[in-house]
Amino acid sequence: MKTKILILTIVIFGGITILFDACKKSDEHAISSGYHPTYLTFKIPAGWPTPPIDIFKNNPLTEEGFQLGKKLFYDGRLSKDGNFPCASCHQQFAAFSTYDHQFSHGFNNSFTFRNAPPLFNLAWMKEMHWDGGINHIEVQPLAPITDITEMAENIENLLKKLSIDTAYPRMFAAAFGDTTINSQRMLKALSQFMGSIQSFNSKYDQVKRGEASFTLAEQNGYTTFKAKCNSCHTEPLFTDNSFRNNGLSLDPFLKDIGRMRITGKPSDSLVFKVPSLRNIQYTGPFMHDGRIFSLLQIVTHYQTGIDITQPTLDPLLKNRLSITNQEKVDLVEFLQTLTDDTLLHDKRLVEPK
Amino acid sequence: MSGLFLSNCNKTTTPKTGTIKISFRNLVGTQPILLDSSIFSNKFGEKYSITQLKYYISNICLINDKGKVTEKESYHLINQSLPASLSFTFTVEENSFSSIQFLIGVDSLRNVSGAQSGALDPLNDMFWTWNSGYVMAKMEGVSPQSNQVGSKIAYHIGGFTGVNSVLKTVQLDFPIGKKLLVEQGKVNEINLEADLNLWWQHTNNIKITELPVCTTPGEMAKKIAENYSAMFSIKEIVNN
Repeated sequence: MKTKILILTIVIFGGITILFDACKKSDEHAISSGYHPTYLTFKIPAGWPTPPIDIFKNNPLTEEGFQLGKKLFYDGRLSKDGNFPCASCHQQFAAFSTYDHQFSHGFNNSFTFRNAPPLFNLAWMKEMHWDGGINHIEVQPLAPITDITEMAENIENLLKKLSIDTAYPRMFAAAFGDTTINSQRMLKALSQFMGSIQSFNSKYDQVKRGEASFTLAEQNGYTTFKAKCNSCHTEPLFTDNSFRNNGLSLDPFLKDIGRMRITGKPSDSLVFKVPSLRNIQYTGPFMHDGRIFSLLQIVTHYQTGIDITQPTLDPLLKNRLSITNQEKVDLVEFLQTLTDDTLLHDKRLVEPK
Repeated sequence: MSGLFLSNCNKTTTPKTGTIKISFRNLVGTQPILLDSSIFSNKFGEKYSITQLKYYISNICLINDKGKVTEKESYHLINQSLPASLSFTFTVEENSFSSIQFLIGVDSLRNVSGAQSGALDPLNDMFWTWNSGYVMAKMEGVSPQSNQVGSKIAYHIGGFTGVNSVLKTVQLDFPIGKKLLVEQGKVNEINLEADLNLWWQHTNNIKITELPVCTTPGEMAKKIAENYSAMFSIKEIVNN
């Protein structure tokens, strides 16, 4: 039901967009008279590490590029049947993951292969996807757009659909200088929008900046976190962006071997990306296949659930984690301080009208 | 006074350039390739036809005994189904050369540099979307020896990092005593041939019965790349 409402909303808004554009036609010659994008600065929060590469170095961040990227992100036409914009699996109220879904829904009543990860702080993520198969943010959208269980579209068709739209030629010109619509520009615009989604204003961040304080339970949870979790879920990103086997058994149906699918190395069998814990309150179900449904169950996995017989198990987990039940409850309290309401409600990231 | 004289002199000597045309002719042995129809036989007597053939040629440079000149933004996709893609031109300062060097595939840097355009546009269906990187060479076809659905054969050869790299640099010397001249106002030509039968046998034996499909980076892709790296030869150098 929820999905239906979402799709309906998208269809209705899509219609409104076209109406609006018809009214705005008079703008067109203003743009052709000169290319004057508004350059934006990507801010790195104080005390944060420098991103491994500058994702905007060859793709200067502009207001026009961001707005174009946002329109594309919310546009169902990027999918074969029009029902699956990027935003259908990456919902803002779930920190741009799929809310309450083990797997997301894709074209032709498919389930996706893996749990949709949230999208934020991507400028720090050198390799994307659970298996690290994507080596640059700009080429990431090619995967979901063309995957037959996701958006199931081909790039040629998609560009045709964009070029007959009334708004896109104008928006591509505003973002890139002329009305040419090609895959490179589409991908760069999407990258400007996705790369601009940041999370750095959770209660945890406010405490770190001296603007708020933890409750006793949260403080105790933070102490446990620093002792038991921080070596992989490293602050301030709450991930070290490495790939590790955290001792989940192989699902006999999915047979997902993780990073070995990309590298071909047996040492990468069952190895997956360490996800950020930011906004974890809203990004469940958890793990690459969404097999864990609550924050308490996550901690239980590390207490007693790790399969210590796996040869590729991360050495840090070979004795599982010794966490008392009191520490477990406090840890969950702490994890909820990583929820960033600014991100969840940022009007700038909302579907354009 | 002399300084002024020199700078005047420099102004009149903007370097003269000529055009080089490079053409590729894909063959099996001496047989020309008609997609979907010609039937070929590899060294193991396995019959096959080709439905699709594409490969990247990049980082082209021309070499003489003083050094080498590299084509700028040198990325070309040779696509058997698009005759216009089988030759291309670029301009070089006047000179003479005795060899050509190029990479089969796309250099590793461009595999990790985000969205590209032109020959490297993902629209060309030579980019792996789930495991970022270019397919360096692709051959698809049909063979009665294939155990796949529709007797299909498919070789998508890629991989650019570390031990999985299939990138091959090819250097071809022009025939002895023959130099390629670059002269203003002229289009001089390098005509290359590629013998596709080398995909199956050169340093490695690749039998269709054993390997009808290879679409991931790794050991087999590397073996096929080693084989096809020897498929090019200089047909002729034409100084018009």
